[in-house]
Amino acid sequence: MRPHLFLLAITAAAPLLAQRTPDYDFSVVRQTRIDLRDLGYPPLDTIPSDESAIRALAVSPEGLIYGATSGKRSHLFVLDPQHGYVEPLGWLRDVTTVHRSLVVSRAGDVYIGGSIGVDNNGEGYATYPGGHLLKYSSKPQGPRPDQAKFECPVNDLGIAAQGDGIYALAIDPEREVLYGLTYPTGQFFSYDIQKAAFRTHGRVAEHHIPGEKFEKDRLIGRALFVAGNGNVITSGEDGHFFAFDPGHATLRKLPITVPTVPGREPYNRVDAWTSSGDGFAYGGTSDGYLFRMNPDSLMVENLGKPLNQYRIRGLAFAPNGKLYGVGGDDDEMARLFSYDTARGVYQMLGMIDVNHRPYYSWQAYVIDALVIGQDGTLYLGQSERKSKLYLYYPE
Amino acid sequence: MLPILFAGALLAATAPSHSVQIDHRVFPGLAAMDGNWAALFAASDGKVYAGLAYHGGDGHLVYYDSKRDEVHDAGNLTQLCGESNLRRGPQSKIHAKFGEGKDHRIYFGTHGGNWWNYARFATKEGYPGAHWMAFDPAANRVEDFGLGVPKEGINTGAYDSLFDRIYGLTHPRGHFVYYDVRTRRAVDKGRINNFESICRTLGIDDEGNVYGSFGDGQVFKYDPRTDAIRELSVRVPIRPKGISFGRDYSKSETAWRTVVWEKQTHRFYGIDESATILFSFDPKAGEDGEIRELGQLCIPGFEKARKIPYATLSLTLGHDRKLYYGAAGREFDYGGSEAAAAAHLITYDLAAGKIEDLGEMLLADGSRVLGTNAADTGPDGTIYLVGAIEVPTKPGVQPEAGGKIGDVYYRLALLMYHPKPR
Repeated sequence: MRPHLFLLAITAAAPLLAQRTPDYDFSVVRQTRIDLRDLGYPPLDTIPSDESAIRALAVSPEGLIYGATSGKRSHLFVLDPQHGYVEPLGWLRDVTTVHRSLVVSRAGDVYIGGSIGVDNNGEGYATYPGGHLLKYSSKPQGPRPDQAKFECPVNDLGIAAQGDGIYALAIDPEREVLYGLTYPTGQFFSYDIQKAAFRTHGRVAEHHIPGEKFEKDRLIGRALFVAGNGNVITSGEDGHFFAFDPGHATLRKLPITVPTVPGREPYNRVDAWTSSGDGFAYGGTSDGYLFRMNPDSLMVENLGKPLNQYRIRGLAFAPNGKLYGVGGDDDEMARLFSYDTARGVYQMLGMIDVNHRPYYSWQAYVIDALVIGQDGTLYLGQSERKSKLYLYYPE
Repeated sequence: MLPILFAGALLAATAPSHSVQIDHRVFPGLAAMDGNWAALFAASDGKVYAGLAYHGGDGHLVYYDSKRDEVHDAGNLTQLCGESNLRRGPQSKIHAKFGEGKDHRIYFGTHGGNWWNYARFATKEGYPGAHWMAFDPAANRVEDFGLGVPKEGINTGAYDSLFDRIYGLTHPRGHFVYYDVRTRRAVDKGRINNFESICRTLGIDDEGNVYGSFGDGQVFKYDPRTDAIRELSVRVPIRPKGISFGRDYSKSETAWRTVVWEKQTHRFYGIDESATILFSFDPKAGEDGEIRELGQLCIPGFEKARKIPYATLSLTLGHDRKLYYGAAGREFDYGGSEAAAAAHLITYDLAAGKIEDLGEMLLADGSRVLGTNAADTGPDGTIYLVGAIEVPTKPGVQPEAGGKIGDVYYRLALLMYHPKPR
């Protein structure tokens, strides 16, 4: 019997099973290219459920993969690719959300932007003093029992903007400046590492997104791109790109909008950025479009919509030259795709699932962070109540 | 040793054995209904409720009035949810347990039928999501509390009259959710487990704490006082992996299948899904409770067999303090079953610690009960089950059936067993 006929026979015999059938393997990424890691050493020495949603990942100059979680508490963790396991580094005081706010400097210091929740109509912010920028400088010492139960040793660098949490961070490693956006009011700020000084430069959104009376959020870009010329690009109100010129310390609303269908501009923002290495910026939008931007000319090309889903939540170029991305909103099922920039061709790689039964299996429905390690492994952060770190090995 | 064990299993599966006669009622006009899982409840007024599943179409809520000996169709679930004109994935099932409120209403959540490998999940043609509902027997009508779980179904559920809440585990994303009837608030507490191993029964103790199984035989506890979920250190006894590759690929073997609460000893009694291992769970023993293995409730001869049928959801506690379990004679999942075999009724006497196989379940005309997946005990002590019964065929006549199990036509029926008084 040919394999696909055998498969058909199996699935036809089991139409009522609510559980997994072999043909589901064709809907998910190829199983020899994906694996996962628990966030620690289960069952006890792990970042607990309800505190494990990964919404920020960063790679250090020495190749360590840092991650920060969200939930009832936020934790910092690290994965050294040489060892391959996740090492919890402790929980972060007064932080419950680290959203796209984790960067590493050339010196290897890890900067963490804290908040108490994002994209939640500003819930909890009426009495919130403001999100702190934290610095982690210790070097991982190897696995220590119960580390997830202890507080992470960090330096508190202060509050970026009174009353707001930190929504997104980026670093200009050359000039040693951090750039950030705040939530819920959308302030753009910088932090000079040498001077240890914050400065705010205005807002990317002044008004609520057009919507019903219960909708209170503003359209704030979820990611920042630091161009080679030092300019910083993000998006804001009405779907417009915003650019910050560090030379003049000015934030400018650009006359161009983030790609989407006409009319949807006030609901569409930059969701993720990455650099192609040849000067171009590639971005993903909350409506699920991929685009390319020339940061010098500010020309934007819409590269289409790879998935019939909302959001592109992470982008990274692999050593094979392809751009990898992950999409899907919180109430959808995350899918991985690649884009060949030379040929302009997409490849759909499937849902993010690891099926290593009888040992372990776990599908990620929400992925909210993606980085590429120095060895070409993609790291995908799951963002659910019980979350794992996924490893994808591009061809 | 192994050949002897396999020979024993073969004998149990093929040799004639003793039998137990089961009374039954079919569901008139609903012969096409093709399955029932967990959705059976014997209410205090003698009415017995069941959710009948229909994959690809509309499920039905039915009840049997035991005082009048009448079966009633309370309605088409898609219609009751106000979704008949949506032309999206229908409300094909009640896939979880019902519960009775202090107001005597019967509370439940709905479920979808087909999932199309999740290709239609969160799409415009996909399943809209589960509704929380209550059937009011006094008014003979269903109240729809609305779409409580967008895009997902209530895979597993339980109602707690103490806190007046309907609890659920969703399919496919495995979230722990509840509907607070008093405040009319739907809450999602987040992910508990993976889609192919969502535990099928939530147990509720006499203080309103909710327990479920997840991971590799682990147990979680939800405390409504703190609104928090805690993962306990106790483990459900599970057969070691690697025995059943074929089945394990489509069904997990890592959770409890069903549990029942026993008021006298304040313990749960349950069975695991891998090998029908019977256990007790005392949630108040120590910090995390205590689980004890008590035996196996499968048909004798299957205990060590590779092809021990997957545990069913048919476990209930009789008034005689015996557990009654509807054991499958072969792997049973209604139309998803490969072949037909008679199901057995097995008991476990809590006082004596003794397992007894009452034999093959046969109807008065000798037709076999081919499998069951729900059980409950009526106020008069009657043991109720819902399952598939064999439908005899006549040449040239299309049988009234929900489908076929192997070469045998089946339809759903409410099954009744009347235990002898002690």
